[in-house]
Amino acid sequence: MKTNAETLTQKKKRKKLSPLARREELQGYLFILPWLVGLFGITLFPMLFSLYGSFTNYDVTSRMDFIGLRNYTRMFASDPLFWKSLYNTLYYVALMVPLTTIGSVLLALMLNERIAGMRVFRTIYYLPAVLSGVGVYFLWIQLLNPSSGLINTLLGWVGIPGPAWLSDPMWTKPAIIMMKLWGVGGGMLLYLASLQGVPSQLYESAKLDGASAFRRFWHITLPMISPVIFFDVVTSFIGGFQIFQEGYVMTDSGNGGPMGSLLFYNLYMWNQAFQLFDMGYAMAMAWVLFVIVLLLTLINLRMSRRWVYYEGGED
Amino acid sequence: MKSTRFFSPLWLLTAALLLLVTACTPESRSSNGAPAAGTNDDGSATEKVTIDFWTFWGSETRRPIIEKIIEDFNQSQDRIVVKHTYLPFGDIWTKNLASIAAGNPADVIINDYADVNLRASKNQNTNLSEYLSQDDIEKQFYPELWKNVLYNDEAYALPFNTDTRLLYYNKEAFREAGLDPEQPPQTWEQLEEYAKKLDKKTGSQYDRVGFYPLWGDFGVDSWLINGDGGNGYFNENDETSINTPGKVSTLEWLKSWQDRLGRQTVDAMKADFGSGVSDPFISGKVAMYIQTGTYNTQIEEFGQDLDIGVAPIPEREEGSGHWSSGGGFVVEIPKGAKHPDEAWEFMKYLTGVDAQKYWALKNFDNVANIEAAEDPEANENAVYKASVENLANTKVFQVPLSASGYKDLINPHMDAVFLGKETPEQALQGAEKDVQALMSKSK
Repeated sequence: MKTNAETLTQKKKRKKLSPLARREELQGYLFILPWLVGLFGITLFPMLFSLYGSFTNYDVTSRMDFIGLRNYTRMFASDPLFWKSLYNTLYYVALMVPLTTIGSVLLALMLNERIAGMRVFRTIYYLPAVLSGVGVYFLWIQLLNPSSGLINTLLGWVGIPGPAWLSDPMWTKPAIIMMKLWGVGGGMLLYLASLQGVPSQLYESAKLDGASAFRRFWHITLPMISPVIFFDVVTSFIGGFQIFQEGYVMTDSGNGGPMGSLLFYNLYMWNQAFQLFDMGYAMAMAWVLFVIVLLLTLINLRMSRRWVYYEGGED
Repeated sequence: MKSTRFFSPLWLLTAALLLLVTACTPESRSSNGAPAAGTNDDGSATEKVTIDFWTFWGSETRRPIIEKIIEDFNQSQDRIVVKHTYLPFGDIWTKNLASIAAGNPADVIINDYADVNLRASKNQNTNLSEYLSQDDIEKQFYPELWKNVLYNDEAYALPFNTDTRLLYYNKEAFREAGLDPEQPPQTWEQLEEYAKKLDKKTGSQYDRVGFYPLWGDFGVDSWLINGDGGNGYFNENDETSINTPGKVSTLEWLKSWQDRLGRQTVDAMKADFGSGVSDPFISGKVAMYIQTGTYNTQIEEFGQDLDIGVAPIPEREEGSGHWSSGGGFVVEIPKGAKHPDEAWEFMKYLTGVDAQKYWALKNFDNVANIEAAEDPEANENAVYKASVENLANTKVFQVPLSASGYKDLINPHMDAVFLGKETPEQALQGAEKDVQALMSKSK
């Protein structure tokens, strides 16, 4: 009853709007219309369309018949490449996310020191984050060259015979993760900013209490930057699952690399959609990935209560 | 408040939408100017039809050639004007798919030979039977290529060009190793014998490798055809013929090359291969190398001093056949094209003797039209001549529709052999099983 009354008063309120206010309201809607068009036309409609498409044998040009759950049963029950591509992607995400997070935190800590020439170092370490795309992959193909590449040359100096990075299926994914580690500058910048926001009196009082450098890091720095870590982890998780270009560019003609070790989920999905025109199946794959990422993000959010510290308490 | 009328949100919206619309419109990135046929202006002239022709030939070499052919066609008659649209190789197929779905495709497109049947089954290209019953031009093409444009025994494309793989060898290296430069290896046995003689080492480091079968443009798939009497992964009845004795022993033989050189040597050397002057054959790192006929243009550009010869791919044993593999491109009319009749006229021209001859002469690329391919003028070039002769031994396969995507299943097994994780027999068994599972699902 109460809600009814509320809506009634709201309706009354609406009626009371002056012509000017109403005009402003209309203008407001008009102003956000481009975004609304984008949301409904470019995001929401294609999403719903692909959800429906995932239950069909849609191939873009000749058919779109409802086939129930067949795409999904095929995926889970009888498509070895689906599992392989999922495994490759999970492997990549499981290593890439923690390593790049730790890497960028450590880097930020080092670059937060006050020594001469720090600006130069910061610039140097941030630079790779500015470079992106296919050029970087070609650069890395050179660096990873087993005989003349820089990486194996360096390893050779310390007596380690480097592997054939991009032709040995055991090393292809680590090679790509290494490449990602090189580009942690973006995350590093976030951490650096948040490190500089940690109030110095916290460190001072800890020092007075005789806390060691490690304890200061563990009990002050880490909790204080934990919201940024959380943000970084969530976004790298989502970004990690989207890996595609690396597998497409760094293998011969996007075939998934040696023994299919770089056949990432999105690459396989793309092949299904645009090489074999099995768009319905690709749509189903997209939704499975969506659900996986959604679940992992929810788990992340839940777990975050245990370790993310927000100044000023929750809520 | 009055000023808001001028900067009304509606105006902004219109501008934004306009931007969106223009950004999405596929605009032709090139067109060769309209021909000066001089039949317009006064209403008396017949109405011209403009058709859109999509290719991925935008390179300095190929673009002028195809645009010259288009210009010749435009000038040869005054009813049809062909407009050339160049799309990068990475975009053209997805754009084609999208434009067919949107009902606004090109009138003619150059497409991959391999999936004509797949596209036909998906309603992406136009059945040409009707046109062919009027203009019976089937006989002008190589039969091996014609097979590939058929779907349910009806043609959905016309073959345009093709390629074939040959053994290039460095005559200078032959002399140095005491081999007769006019006697290239004919059999696998000779190939091995020559290769060993051509190897050049300093310590354990190879300065020159005589031959390694999987470098160059002749992969495992191609060798399996060569070693198995010209049979591919599927037979005429669309059944698998993957795990055959011929293929098992071919794979064993291929593996033995890697065992002899060492996987590390093979991987390391391969990673250093580049193109142009750092091409392994042109730079003298490899003495025998399998490549397509058009590879010769690279040799001419970057390795003028090289004294080279070409030969058919060696056969497994005398009489088993110098089988090679080929591919190529076809011309087709995307489904839903606005002017299929005019498109057909242009396709006939493109695959006719004049245009094909011009293409062959300028590119030394193998063309699908037999008369043009065998034209004496182009055949003055020794490598081109050898490549045309090699077409008789060249296999071009159509993949059964039910096996679309089979390569993703076979390749990992082949990789596993060279990584020492599966024996050739296990690999081919596994591959056959996987492909059969795929095919039974698709039925």
